Amino acid sequence: MERTELRVRSSDTPLPAGPGAALALLWLLGRAAAPPAVCTPRDAGCRLLSVPELFDRAIRHSGRIHSLSTELEKYFTPRDNELSSHARKCHTATMLTPNDKEFAQKMPREELTYLILKLLQAWKEPLSHFNQHIENLQELPGESLGKAKQISNMVHELETGVEKVTEKMQSMGIISNSLHGMASSEAASLSISNEANMMSDSDFIHCFRRDSNKVQSYLKILKCRIMPENSC
Amino acid sequence: MSELPGFYTAHMPPRRLPEGPLDFCTSLGQSFPGKPKIIRCRSLEKETFSCWWKPGSDGGLPTNYTLFYSKDSEEKIYECPDYRTSGPNSCYFNKNHTNPWTTYNITVTATNEIGSNSSDPQYVDVTSIVQPGSPVNLTLETKRSANIMFLLAKWSPPLLADASSNYLYHYELRLKPEEKEEWETISVGVQTQYKIDRLNAGMRYVVQVRCTLDPGEWSEWSSERHILIPSGRSPPEKPTITKCRSPEKETFTCWWKPGLDGGHPANYTLFYSKEGEDQVYECPDYRTAGPSSCYFDKKHTSFWTIYNITVRATNEMGSNSSDPHYVDVTYIVQPDPPVNVTLELKKPINKKPYLVLTWSPPPLADVRSGWLTLEYELRLKPEEGEEWETIFVGQQTQYKMFSLNPGKKYIVQIHCKPDHHGSWSEWSSEKYVQIPNDASLNNSICFLDFRVKDMIVWIILGVLSSLICLIMSWTMVLKGYRMITFILPPVPGPKIKGIDTHLLETGKSEELLSALGCHGFPPTSDCEELLIEYLEVEDSEDQQLMPSRDNGHPSKNAKITPKETDSDSGRGSCDSPSLLSEKCRETCAFPSVLQTQDVRDVQEKKAGKRSWETQCVASERKAHLFNSESAKSSTWPAVQLPNNQPPMFAYHSIVDAHKVTLSTTNMNVAAVLVEDEEKGQSQYSIAETVPGDMEKQREMENLCSKTEQTIVQVKQNRSKEKSPFLDATLMDYVEVHKVRQDEEPAVLLKHKENSVKTEKYTISGASKEYTKVSTVTDHNILVLMPDSRVLHTSVSQEPAKETSQNLQQGQVEKNMSYCLTAPSDCRRETSGSEYMDPSSFMPSFK
Repeated sequence: MERTELRVRSSDTPLPAGPGAALALLWLLGRAAAPPAVCTPRDAGCRLLSVPELFDRAIRHSGRIHSLSTELEKYFTPRDNELSSHARKCHTATMLTPNDKEFAQKMPREELTYLILKLLQAWKEPLSHFNQHIENLQELPGESLGKAKQISNMVHELETGVEKVTEKMQSMGIISNSLHGMASSEAASLSISNEANMMSDSDFIHCFRRDSNKVQSYLKILKCRIMPENSC
Repeated sequence: MSELPGFYTAHMPPRRLPEGPLDFCTSLGQSFPGKPKIIRCRSLEKETFSCWWKPGSDGGLPTNYTLFYSKDSEEKIYECPDYRTSGPNSCYFNKNHTNPWTTYNITVTATNEIGSNSSDPQYVDVTSIVQPGSPVNLTLETKRSANIMFLLAKWSPPLLADASSNYLYHYELRLKPEEKEEWETISVGVQTQYKIDRLNAGMRYVVQVRCTLDPGEWSEWSSERHILIPSGRSPPEKPTITKCRSPEKETFTCWWKPGLDGGHPANYTLFYSKEGEDQVYECPDYRTAGPSSCYFDKKHTSFWTIYNITVRATNEMGSNSSDPHYVDVTYIVQPDPPVNVTLELKKPINKKPYLVLTWSPPPLADVRSGWLTLEYELRLKPEEGEEWETIFVGQQTQYKMFSLNPGKKYIVQIHCKPDHHGSWSEWSSEKYVQIPNDASLNNSICFLDFRVKDMIVWIILGVLSSLICLIMSWTMVLKGYRMITFILPPVPGPKIKGIDTHLLETGKSEELLSALGCHGFPPTSDCEELLIEYLEVEDSEDQQLMPSRDNGHPSKNAKITPKETDSDSGRGSCDSPSLLSEKCRETCAFPSVLQTQDVRDVQEKKAGKRSWETQCVASERKAHLFNSESAKSSTWPAVQLPNNQPPMFAYHSIVDAHKVTLSTTNMNVAAVLVEDEEKGQSQYSIAETVPGDMEKQREMENLCSKTEQTIVQVKQNRSKEKSPFLDATLMDYVEVHKVRQDEEPAVLLKHKENSVKTEKYTISGASKEYTKVSTVTDHNILVLMPDSRVLHTSVSQEPAKETSQNLQQGQVEKNMSYCLTAPSDCRRETSGSEYMDPSSFMPSFK
């Protein structure tokens, strides 16, 4: 397990590099094919988490992120007419994301999984920027900075977790390995993140909150589609 | 109308109770009722009237109110004809009881168990109290005729109890703009509608009406009615979007509140646009969710999109749009309340009962897809309680409640909410659960059980311990003597006969003796002398002789005991000097001797003591035996084995025997024991066999002496004391014991009489004869046979207790026989000295 985490971390750094990610995925696949010999399921200290457990963790994690973003949003109240007058343009708005249940349920598992990952990746860079940005805002209370940082870290962790679930599902044949084929579009995330930097703070946090909710919803849908027997 | 005999004048003062009972009653917290007060009397239409009263203070008891009235034209007093029509605390006088030309004197009396109290009288002239009710059904309407806007007000006359009658009312109408204070009052006349013009368009007005009958007061104003006078050119008021809600995170509905339409029906249109889109859509469905609502079905519902919603009201005069309402459907999810809430009270064995709540998510919510996750919260309170206890449950759909107060009825409700966003549903319908008292009962029973068990344990412990104590004390009493000798071994003192101080010391031993039954031997001077002599003799003697003494002593004791028993019988014991006869004297001397022996034995030697003890014990034993046997002749068969009969005594005797044997000789203790247990006789035999010839001889002597003594006693008793049967019987018993102890001789007897012991007893009647015979002849069993007259005598003397006497005699006989069996030397001694003189006993004792 630790090895996978390490791998994820290593894959985080060369994030924008599509080939790198593809390689990492390939490596991941190869590794998944030969399960790690370090841990056996019977080892007490080294229990392999099941897919539902991983999903539950990811869902809880995303829920926590969502709660944090809700709290953080209170610090960035929009200007009076901002809410009404102008429609927010989230940098992730260009992504085609299912916006109702049926759509989400119809979406292929691989695509939904990929969408989740993509959403998370799309926010990693802007969140770091946002953190740096609000550090300079003196009118913000310190705790909001803490929350923003926490959110940023948690998004990283969540992405790691989702990747892990993905990997596991692929190894189990729950989803096809066609995921890597979609990685090419990841290049777009850079431009998206640039766009994110153009948003106002309140828009930014609002959009992030919305996307964190999306991620959680998609994770739930995905989980219940894959394992309908597990408290769904 | 009921006539009240007590009240003949209308002006009779209200009845009051004296103060006394009031005080008395107030001390109990109850009193007669307070004074009621007639509030008003009113006639709605001059043909009937009603009176209302206010109850006085409550006396703490149910109170009855009675209204009495009289008319000025007559002196009769009547009671209220109708308490119900006009409501509580009222009296309704219908047409038959209402006379407009009469003045009524009305009094209300409150009565409870303790007493009554009456109001001040009220004088009523019906004509002057007329006040109609308010007009009803006031409606307002704006009308337009000839391009002139006017207001049409319509109403109905007041309601009457008697609906059939019609009265002519005069009406008044008043109106004012909503925001103003002053009313404009218009006299309407007798019509029930009125047209109002000259109203300001676009203003809201308030209208009321009232009425009056020709004479009398105006009614109250009717309830207010509001109306907006439309201006004619202005559009309807703008509606307000009140709420948007998605019950299942798939569809949503928005509701609005219409503004005043200004008298013109308005159409309402909902428009919405989505975030990031410029296009404006109209509500897809106005009907599904009811009036003034818009339902967005799944197709029209997007998430993570903000809806901008406005409602526009339109009429002929124009339109007005609401403020925009922004909706992110994700955050307006408010589920329906959970359903299928069930409360189940579980009562596991040995555990506290608990409540299991189960419920289902609202049917609309699709929780299985993962799209909507619900969290639950429940609340409960006792039925009469004020504060709810709220418990967040999480995503599970059941909950167990443990800490509920038994005997209370709880109200439980549950609501739910999507996780992380949305709002709580309404509370589910109230569910009641009665926490049974028997739960607590069970508990208390358990508790009680526990306590009872505890109690039982303690009681058992107490009983046991007290029993043990009892047994201990009993044994102490019985064996105390020995025990004390064990614990406090007697200090062997110098055997100086003259020391009285030791005697004083031996007070303890005296007590013990008394406890053992050896009590009550106040040493007489004679006895002391005797004792001293005796002591001297004892000193000289050896321990070896002890067993023989023991054996011998009982016999002597037996003599003594009979006298004790005599005392029981009423003659008085040897202790009581008055009863001491010559022969008694001798016997008395004997006990005294014993006592002195005790005293000095302690001083002298253990051995001596023991011998004494044995004596004492023997005496006790016998005494007891006497008692018991005298009481029940049936016990006799058991008497065979003297040791065994009364177990305690038996023990004593046995132990004594052991001691004796131990102290005296090298005899086999075990053997002795066994034999003792088996038969008392064996002791003697062993004693005889083991010790030297001397011992044997002495024992034999003792035995002989015993027998002799007994015989003597018996004779004495019989001869001297005819009346005391008991004594005789007792005596007999004693003798019998001896006999038993000396069972070898008994065996001998058997040869002659019967092979079986029981038979012996039966034959014992004949044994009396033997006793005499024994006196006559020394040796053989055959000797027993010839005696017959003694029996007769005994029978004549003691007809009732023949059997016992017989038995005794038989025993005596046995003794005799034993004596006979004993060596000839013994014989001689016994025959020679011991018969007559108690002093002769003494040496034999030794």
